[in-house]
Amino acid sequence: MAPALCAICKTERANIKRPKNHARVCKGCFLTLFEEEVHHTIVSSKLFYPGERVAIGASGGKDSTVLASVLKTLNERYNYGLDLVLLSIDEGIKGYRDDSLETVKRNAVQYDMPLKIVGYDELYGWTMDQVVQTIGKKGNCTYCGVFRRQALDRGAKMLDIKHVVTGHNADDVAETILMNLLRGDMGRLARSTNIVTGDASSDVKRSKPLKYAYEKEIVMYAYHKKLDYFSTECIYSPEAFRGTARGLIKQLERIRPSAILDILRSGEDMARLVPGESASSCGCKGKSKTPAATATEDDGGIGGCGSSGAAGGNEMAVMEKQLRENEAAEGLEVDVSKLSLAGTPAESETDGAVPLKMNKNSKPVTRQTLGNCKRCGYMSSQEICQACTLLEGLNKNRAQIQI
Amino acid sequence: MASSTSPPHPASEAIPPTNTTTTIATTTTTKPCAKCRSQPGTLDSRGQLVCPSCFQKFISQKCIKQIGLLNKDVRSSSSQSLSAYHSTQKNSGPPQSSSRRYFLGLSLGPSSAALLELLNENVEYQVSRKKNPPFELSVVHREREREKVEECVKRLAGRYPRFEFRVVYLEEVVGLGSVDWEGLGLGDFATASSSTTENDATTTTSTTASKLRRLFDNLPSTTSRTDLLRLFTRHLLIAEACKPPNKCHALLLGSSTTALAELTLSETAKGRGFSLPWQINDGVLGVPSFSSSPTSSSARPANSSPTSSHTNKPKAKTSEDQGILIYHPLRDALRKELVTFTKLAGEPTPIAELLPETDLTTTAAVVSHKDLSIEEVMVRYFADVEENYPSIVANVARTTGKLMRLFGGGGADGVEGVGGDASEDDEERLCGLCSMPLDEFGDERWKGELGEDSYRDAAVTVEDEGEKKMTKTTKQRICYGCERSIRV
Repeated sequence: MAPALCAICKTERANIKRPKNHARVCKGCFLTLFEEEVHHTIVSSKLFYPGERVAIGASGGKDSTVLASVLKTLNERYNYGLDLVLLSIDEGIKGYRDDSLETVKRNAVQYDMPLKIVGYDELYGWTMDQVVQTIGKKGNCTYCGVFRRQALDRGAKMLDIKHVVTGHNADDVAETILMNLLRGDMGRLARSTNIVTGDASSDVKRSKPLKYAYEKEIVMYAYHKKLDYFSTECIYSPEAFRGTARGLIKQLERIRPSAILDILRSGEDMARLVPGESASSCGCKGKSKTPAATATEDDGGIGGCGSSGAAGGNEMAVMEKQLRENEAAEGLEVDVSKLSLAGTPAESETDGAVPLKMNKNSKPVTRQTLGNCKRCGYMSSQEICQACTLLEGLNKNRAQIQI
Repeated sequence: MASSTSPPHPASEAIPPTNTTTTIATTTTTKPCAKCRSQPGTLDSRGQLVCPSCFQKFISQKCIKQIGLLNKDVRSSSSQSLSAYHSTQKNSGPPQSSSRRYFLGLSLGPSSAALLELLNENVEYQVSRKKNPPFELSVVHREREREKVEECVKRLAGRYPRFEFRVVYLEEVVGLGSVDWEGLGLGDFATASSSTTENDATTTTSTTASKLRRLFDNLPSTTSRTDLLRLFTRHLLIAEACKPPNKCHALLLGSSTTALAELTLSETAKGRGFSLPWQINDGVLGVPSFSSSPTSSSARPANSSPTSSHTNKPKAKTSEDQGILIYHPLRDALRKELVTFTKLAGEPTPIAELLPETDLTTTAAVVSHKDLSIEEVMVRYFADVEENYPSIVANVARTTGKLMRLFGGGGADGVEGVGGDASEDDEERLCGLCSMPLDEFGDERWKGELGEDSYRDAAVTVEDEGEKKMTKTTKQRICYGCERSIRV
């Protein structure tokens, strides 16, 4: 059997089947294609400006390691003129972070980039292990996500850097889109698809240059580039909505490889359809709030799933209960309309207006306005930011335990 | 057997005797119904134990609420932009506000069968109160297994003599003007149906059928086949509902909450997020006409190059005239509730007993998971979620309904009002396959963001010649999702 030749260079053996579109290419062409696609994303979204100092949110995992490697390559190849820095968060999870931080330290040497590590303990007075000891394994991902979101921004501020890039990949974004559809969270759906989050008024801009890169291709790239990364998933694993969305994505990808990109396309289009959101997919205008839906670093498993997750326990069960209560409250409404039809088939509403069917079941999508947390000054849509609220709860518990 | 003696209006207390006996047998351990407090509660309805009769009432209220909205909609729209309906209804005498004509798509699955029963209840109830029947209903079936279907439709026609039943076969889609056959590179599909009426009808039908089968066989995946089947079925239903001289006021679909949630996620996964507001919500949908056949009086001229159709005003007008109101009256009921309903409701026997034994709408156990369609993945997923978290299923459909209908090419200022306003149709261009508005702004941006060319080139290499030709000819005349379906 004659080996198939690479579809791009037509000379090398095609030993890679691209997960994204099943095109058969050789190793060299795959690496170049991958880099060029990221380059295209960067250029078309105008992510950087020459001379910009950019912090790479580095966890030691595959996504952020590939991101660092690709950015270094492209920065040199296309003279972006970027000043790249690795920024790591130490959540204080023994057996997870210790090893991955070692990886990041090696990466810093390999890529010749400065490294800054910020610990949860110095930022919040709590390590994740301590948090888990206090509240248990359920719902702790909320804490981790909320804390880390701020930690990256605060770390960037310490370094006087205004732009953090994260390793979110296409699978993560697709996952977030499905998750927000399942949760019925249109506001987050609209924001989650943006490649850039945070706006001019916020201190730190966030972006995800790997937004269109398939997770599988990232793994392939890391493998063929022989990158040094740490491959253990977080030991406190994700739950409920994100987990369920992730399962769906994997199934869909198996059936139709393009499904992940197709979900992204759908998500971006739907973002324009959310009432009150701007039509642009770029986050630099009118986007309030911190990048709530983009909380996850790296592996994307640790969802800073925000509001509903804070209740702890099973997210889906909590939401189910809440929705049922709402429904019960709406019970009367149903009866009234039934009576009006069954009793009087010719209703008296003859104002001639076409009913606004779209809204018959709906409450307006809640919009958030940006302010600053009264305690820590970090930007927040609430009076007290999520991190401070969570901390308050934690500290209360700690006080009781000490008593 | 045909019409039952006691009008089974929503408040009917009729419970099949078999059911009553089993209920009594377990009374000692069951709590009373949470609603009426008199009957034993034997069914779980959204966290409450209720009796069968209260359960039926609950489902029928959900339906009646939507039908009420529909009736209002038809009344107000027929006095406004949709006056076209009346002008096409010359044969049905002077327009009367009370004679509304609805069209129900019947798949013979539990949801659409439940809707049939519920609508019948409603009509019988109105008639029993000496009122005019609130509407006429035609029912159509989307074919699967011909003999079983015809048998079943015969049974249903006997049960519901007030309604007119028609069976429509899939090959009738060939030749429909609402599909841009030429744009799809399927020019020979554009005219086939006109010859089916000729003498050699049987031979033509079989060639049409085999042509269609070839088309389906050549599609790249199970997902594509499922997708196209769904789209063709929809085309047929709309075409039947719009058929002169008795154009119907609305097309009713039996989609449950669960079905709408499945549709939301599967269409998202297929890249059709943009058109979800048109698919999920109730309201008027434009029906394009790509037909160059002279028999269709309102058809636009045959010049169907993409550029001319873009600015072709007559075409836009056509789509307005041929708009159809689409409603999903069971949007608030879960699939499992409707399955239960069909086992309870109906006189003298539950309607479920009239349906084919095997549910023709779902496929049997699947051997390879790779051969599942995206739709099937979603059906399985939501069957699971529905069991434990029914309100979450309901919430998916409800919140998707909040998305706005945005017309193609408009960009930021294209944010138009909510659905139902047929006059907005003037500006939209519709996809040649799924009839949903094209999103030129989104296409443009997507190409920019993805460097479309590079990834398309790579993708093309794994396609064969025929499909490559298809890609070329279909560019910009079908939407992103449809392109995915027939291409990759």
